Amino acid sequence: MYVFEHIAAALYLAAGVGAVLGLVLPAPGALVGARWGLALGAAAQTAAFATLHRLDPAPSLTDLAQVTAIITWLGVIFALLLQSRIKLPGFMPPLAFLAFLAAFGATLSSSNTSATTEIVGGLPHAHILLASAGLAALGLAGLAGCFFLLEHRRLKSRRSPMRKITLPSLEALDRVNRVALTLGFLLLTLGVLTGALWLEARAGQLYSGSLHETWTVVAWMIYLGLVAMRFAGRQSARQAAASAVAGFAFLLFAVVGVGLVS
Amino acid sequence: MKVLLVGMNHRTAPVEVRERFAVAEIGTVLRKLVDRPEIGEAVMLSTCNRVEIMVTAENSDAARHALFDFFVRDLSTGELPAPARVREMMYWREGREAIEHFFRVASAIDSMVIGEPQILGQVKDAYRAAVDAGVCGPVLSRLCQRGFATAKRVKNETGISQRPVSVARVAVDLAKQIFESLESKTALLIGAGEMIEAALVALDDHGLGTRRVVNRTQANAMALADRFGGTAHGLDELDALLPETDMVLSCVGGEGPILTRERIEAALGRRRNRPLFLIDIGVPRNIHPDVHELDSAFLYDLDDLQEVAAANVQQRHRESERAERIVDEERANFEGWLVALQAVPTIRDLRDRADTIRLAEVSRFAGRMRLDEGQQETLEQLTRSIVNKIMHAPISQLRDETDREAGLARLEEARSLFALDSETGADSDSDVSSDSDSGSNSGSNSGSISNSDSAEEGDPT
Repeated sequence: MYVFEHIAAALYLAAGVGAVLGLVLPAPGALVGARWGLALGAAAQTAAFATLHRLDPAPSLTDLAQVTAIITWLGVIFALLLQSRIKLPGFMPPLAFLAFLAAFGATLSSSNTSATTEIVGGLPHAHILLASAGLAALGLAGLAGCFFLLEHRRLKSRRSPMRKITLPSLEALDRVNRVALTLGFLLLTLGVLTGALWLEARAGQLYSGSLHETWTVVAWMIYLGLVAMRFAGRQSARQAAASAVAGFAFLLFAVVGVGLVS
Repeated sequence: MKVLLVGMNHRTAPVEVRERFAVAEIGTVLRKLVDRPEIGEAVMLSTCNRVEIMVTAENSDAARHALFDFFVRDLSTGELPAPARVREMMYWREGREAIEHFFRVASAIDSMVIGEPQILGQVKDAYRAAVDAGVCGPVLSRLCQRGFATAKRVKNETGISQRPVSVARVAVDLAKQIFESLESKTALLIGAGEMIEAALVALDDHGLGTRRVVNRTQANAMALADRFGGTAHGLDELDALLPETDMVLSCVGGEGPILTRERIEAALGRRRNRPLFLIDIGVPRNIHPDVHELDSAFLYDLDDLQEVAAANVQQRHRESERAERIVDEERANFEGWLVALQAVPTIRDLRDRADTIRLAEVSRFAGRMRLDEGQQETLEQLTRSIVNKIMHAPISQLRDETDREAGLARLEEARSLFALDSETGADSDSDVSSDSDSGSNSGSNSGSISNSDSAEEGDPT
């Protein structure tokens, strides 16, 4: 039933193992293989999402496991696109393993899905896709921010890197952060707007005051502030990296955590 | 045939002695060496840290004397210490040790700076010189090729040459950890001395974009800028240049720091907090240490760079243990190939021997049994098949033995068991024929040793 999901999960896992081996040994061939593994995994997952409606029962796109799978799938695609322009060797292992867990988790979860939110029409699909893409891009910005803080700390300590995995340069990480933050904010904005329009179509109002909506709007406003500071040049790269990490943590809580807590 | 190696290096001989053996025309020297009857093939490596000659020879003792004699008489120029003293400075490797030593040298495990990249190029040059001189045969050719492959594996599979160990290269490596590429970057060089020049050469190797030289004496700044395609400026232009600078390299004399925290902070503000990498190799320091506290400024002084270099040296030493394992694997593979190569004449002799016996027996029986052409062909095929099947196992074992010592011992055994070195090989063939003859015909037999054997074998019949 979930053939494509399983294929995607297997490819992501192989890509993760290949990427770790490629960085640790180091073996450039394994890194190239890992990149192909990620690309093929993303292709398999595209096929999985395209054929999701044929499953019986069809899993809901609002199901947490499905959303996580969509976010990591888009994250992988963004990362691969970025990698064609910027050298990002250290990105592959965490991304591949996250994508594997999400893809595999989606197969387990969707087989247990019973009650689902009805998703009909273009608006809900657009909302889910845009919001997920926004989360994926902002997640990448957060990951780049994490790596930046690690590298910044090491360079400030004036120590030779003892670990075997070499991370991208500070400048590359900052560039990923900037690009992903801009793209992510744009997509998140569109996601919030389509969400509001979906709500209006369903309930006749743009804002219902639910916890999820409130926290998401707050997160969006925080990101608006971060983007403004970033482009005004008021932050150092380290502050921007720390903001990206904190911002993504807040966004995750707003979108996922609030729903789980409440 | 054995692989032998003799030489001296930075650990065994001082430079005053090593320089006496520096050779410009390696080809001529090698041709002279292989003219000696004790020497088969030869390759010579001559670098500033080592002089080594690797040869193949049948008799290692004779080759050893020939090589030492060659080293002292034909290779040296100028005055040398006493021969006994020179001999003490030389090392001698034979067989397995020679192969291993060569692989270690090619992989830069034996270098003064472990993992240095130059040695592989020098070994390749040595091989090319030997090939051009026509003194590098199949064994050393294969050994050199495997040496290059081993070096490649060591480079790719270990971190032995990953981290730089010279101050200039450490600075470049750090710059690459901060910046994506140096091609679009601007370096500001404060000073025009040797240290600045060394750092500039290293940065240039990595495609540094723009160079600006600042110095108290503008003429020196202009001279350096001209050499490296940069622009020269006076110290009074520093504040104007800093905001457009990505990297500062400073090494000028004088009291107190030239670049203070305030100056750098102002420059960073105008750079919109883009990172600034500062290398201070001046003594006393030219950049105030507080600058490092600024978020976007990364300041490394000479001690910091040397500390990183020392840590990298230790890292390379740790990685060399993994490299040794690769060398060991490759050495075993090469030894296997060498044994297989040395097994070729024995295998050929063995086949010839078996075939001679087969043909003799076939012709004898074919004559007696008055076989027609078709039957003769069948008999031919049958006997060939039997011989091939019988010989398959011993030949495979001779060919596939990978341990050199065991392989050579096995070859000796085979030659002895099948009497391959016996001058009466042809006679014994007829002996064997007679034996089988006697076995089947209970008739006459001839010969001595094999007769008695066959008599015993024939007794039961």
